[in-house]
Amino acid sequence: MPMLTRRACAALLAIAALAPAQAAVDTARATAFIQTAGDELVAAINNTSLNAAARQERVATILRRSVDVETVGRFVLGRFWRVATPAEQQEYLRLFEESLIRNLAGRFGEFQGVRFALGRSQSRTEDDALVSTIVTRPGGTAFNLDWRVAEMGGQPKIVDLIAEGTSLRLTQRSEYSSVIQRGGGQVAALLTAMRAQAGR
Amino acid sequence: MKRPWLVTPTPVALALAVMLTLTGCATRPPASDREAVAEFEANNDPFEPFNRSMFAVHQAIDAAVLRPINVAYRVLPQPVRNSVSSVLNNIRTPVVLMNDMLQGNPRRAGDTLGRFVVNTTVGLGGIFDVANSYFGVPVHYEDFGQTLATFGVGEGPFLFIPILGPTNPRDLVGYGVDTAAQPLNWFGQGLAVSILSGARGGATILDNRDYFFEIVDDLNRTSLDPYAALRTARRQARAAAIANRDATGQARPN
Repeated sequence: MPMLTRRACAALLAIAALAPAQAAVDTARATAFIQTAGDELVAAINNTSLNAAARQERVATILRRSVDVETVGRFVLGRFWRVATPAEQQEYLRLFEESLIRNLAGRFGEFQGVRFALGRSQSRTEDDALVSTIVTRPGGTAFNLDWRVAEMGGQPKIVDLIAEGTSLRLTQRSEYSSVIQRGGGQVAALLTAMRAQAGR
Repeated sequence: MKRPWLVTPTPVALALAVMLTLTGCATRPPASDREAVAEFEANNDPFEPFNRSMFAVHQAIDAAVLRPINVAYRVLPQPVRNSVSSVLNNIRTPVVLMNDMLQGNPRRAGDTLGRFVVNTTVGLGGIFDVANSYFGVPVHYEDFGQTLATFGVGEGPFLFIPILGPTNPRDLVGYGVDTAAQPLNWFGQGLAVSILSGARGGATILDNRDYFFEIVDDLNRTSLDPYAALRTARRQARAAAIANRDATGQARPN
């Protein structure tokens, strides 16, 4: 059964991921970076002296500084990055940054009274480290939030967020790919949809 | 998600088979486009046209019925809703315990059993999750779909079923087995039993909907293709649940 093989592969990958690998990005550094960024985010989210819009703006500022938006954007467009014209690539990255920051800031903004604690930190691949945290809302439920951190131009940067096993960039890539395919394989179809959403 | 009062898997499978033959299949990309083929296989969604129409039905039901009920339910403060969750979790314990054991996880089975004893007694039937708040043993979920996965059974093609949500044949079978394994379904029949189990099923749907309330709103507001996003998100979350990587123990059955 092909499914069985796929599952076995996934299990092997999961096991391999637990073993420490040589990493370009230092795990301690990645962890310290997430601790700092996370503390800043939590402080902004829970700052009751600001109104919701101002809080969201502050969260957005921290995210723009900590997330490598271009790397995430290119990953998300995936194989369609190569077929896009330079003009399309440029417009895509602009729209992507806008939507990513706005959506993330909006999502984080919902977590009033949030606390976050570092979990165990593991190095995953040669390129990046995975820093796991546990996010708790007052009276609500706790969940796992993993931050994928890569070294970009000498600076640690966030390249993915994984909530309870669901990767933001993988989910976004599948979604965008679906929009492009249903739009006749044209990147322009995605840009049209992104433009329409940005205008809302 | 567990819906003991809903239809049993066999009629579901039959109905699905009939409807699948009535709708088309997703078009496989040409073999020359290897990346497209790889993605097609990763999506694992040969019945996409059918699934998308089922998703549209679900979205209509959700907007007209489920979400308004959920909004009304949210009048209750979070601690009360937590208690509802906790009672439902406690009722589900025998099924989780069975699956913990079938998966060869004595430690997790011990957690499940200990939680049941403490929460049923001191926690007044699970109204208070004393096992977590005082003993630091958080709830975790297991279902027979996950057990089958640990046995190496493949998931089969992606399926979207209104109200039940994103699933697959393996998890549908698991849902049927879990329903049969729930001791509450073994005893009695008649109106009172039906009403009680219906209430439990309804509360379970509401409790799950409430857990995902913000996520569903976010998805509908921000996603350019909520169906595609949900399809991949569900598969990823499920893989994490099967590997017990949802270690905070708060991940839901679906």
